[in-house]
Amino acid sequence: MAYDGRMILDEVSFIVNPGETKIVMGGSGMGKSTILKLVLGLIKPNAGSILIDGEDVTGSSERELVEVRKKIGMVFQDGALFDSLSVYENVGYRLFEQGLPEPEIEETVRRTLRFVNLERAMYMMPSELSGGMRRRVGIARALVGSPKLILFDEPTAGLDPPTARTILELAIKLRDLEGVSSIFVTHRVDDIKLLSSTFATIDESGEVAYQQENSRLCLVNTRFIMLKDSKVLFSGTDEEMWTSSEPYIQEFFRE
Amino acid sequence: MAGRAFRGALSRPHYFREIVTQMDTVGVGSLMIIVLTGVFTGGVLALQTSATLQTFGATGVTGSLVMTSMVREMGPVLASLMLAGRVGSAIAAELGSMVVSEQVDAMRALGTDPIQKLVWPRLLALMVMTPALTLVADIVGAVGGWVVATALMHVASSVYISSAKSALTYNDIIGGLIKPLVFGFIIAIVSCRAGLRTHGGTVGVGRSTTQAVVLSDILILASDFFLARIILAFK
Repeated sequence: MAYDGRMILDEVSFIVNPGETKIVMGGSGMGKSTILKLVLGLIKPNAGSILIDGEDVTGSSERELVEVRKKIGMVFQDGALFDSLSVYENVGYRLFEQGLPEPEIEETVRRTLRFVNLERAMYMMPSELSGGMRRRVGIARALVGSPKLILFDEPTAGLDPPTARTILELAIKLRDLEGVSSIFVTHRVDDIKLLSSTFATIDESGEVAYQQENSRLCLVNTRFIMLKDSKVLFSGTDEEMWTSSEPYIQEFFRE
Repeated sequence: MAGRAFRGALSRPHYFREIVTQMDTVGVGSLMIIVLTGVFTGGVLALQTSATLQTFGATGVTGSLVMTSMVREMGPVLASLMLAGRVGSAIAAELGSMVVSEQVDAMRALGTDPIQKLVWPRLLALMVMTPALTLVADIVGAVGGWVVATALMHVASSVYISSAKSALTYNDIIGGLIKPLVFGFIIAIVSCRAGLRTHGGTVGVGRSTTQAVVLSDILILASDFFLARIILAFK
């Protein structure tokens, strides 16, 4: 993938298995977000191919991509909420477009907002929301329609640690309790550590509980890709990554 | 883009709500500025023509001159230039901000064609409302001319009215409505294109807005010349 004559992504190849979270890491301007735009078909690659759910979508027209995009939910960097629409209309956007009856839309939107703990913000406008709330609404909007794959574009960038944690816990909840596949683009070490060490379960009282991975249990559904100079520098599990001797990776995680 | 917009109009969903909102913003929202443009243009036309006509003792034809200038040129061109400034800039700024804040990408990601949802309603609204507003400008301009001619230049009211009425031909009226239809099309396409092609953050939004207005204005004036040639050829 080249842009303005500059190579952004070169020979980048990976597979996201069902239920797996693929974390794409790399410095700024390394083409992390470009990967997500390619997956969605918002931009076309110069060479190579993209398969979604086994179907080659590389040469698909905008009209054909509409069907493909129903399987994908995208969480944009700053939420990318529609300013002129309320939270309710934003989250239910896909359903309004499909012309579903209003009561059905309201029910789905309420349920989805409950998932991101924002039911109270249902009738607010995006301008009234804080940065963290905007992203959570963005996640809720991506979840409507039960997509098989969720794309996260640096959803924690610029957020304070507790708010960032709530966003990450949502991603973990989706991975462990809903079995949704995702591609998670980030350059924050905190995100990477939390996503690779914490898992969500339902405790006896029916509440969602987050637990630390220990020696008894090991997360197998999170894998990593490190991008550097438009190429894949590393691809594998977190254990492999922590023990990697690659200088750039050591530099990336140096505390 | 225009082709895709027209094709989008034929397929579902139709976005009636969007179309009505745009008609309201473009039409009702611009009414005041168009009325003011019309009244002062008509007034100044009456002032200038009757002053010149006085030397020949022919102030009686003031109405006819005001009316033909208004319907043939001033109404369509000035109304469209005002709309390019008011509506074209707003469209470019709004769509540009949407592009910059990734809202257009989000829209595509959610399975909506931005051409169908954003461009088509604006194109239709401008193609309907520019002729309608031109008509308003023409009428208000004639009234403005009448006020100036009768109050300041002492032209008899009945003389002004009968001269204005007799001056207009069907060719003038139809030509005077085809022009704003084309100008509305130009404003919509130029502004939507500028907005959707915005890049480079907030600075880019400013650039797109300027580009939309300047390019619309130039294309309106240039196409006016050629349209005038064509319309006159059918006389």
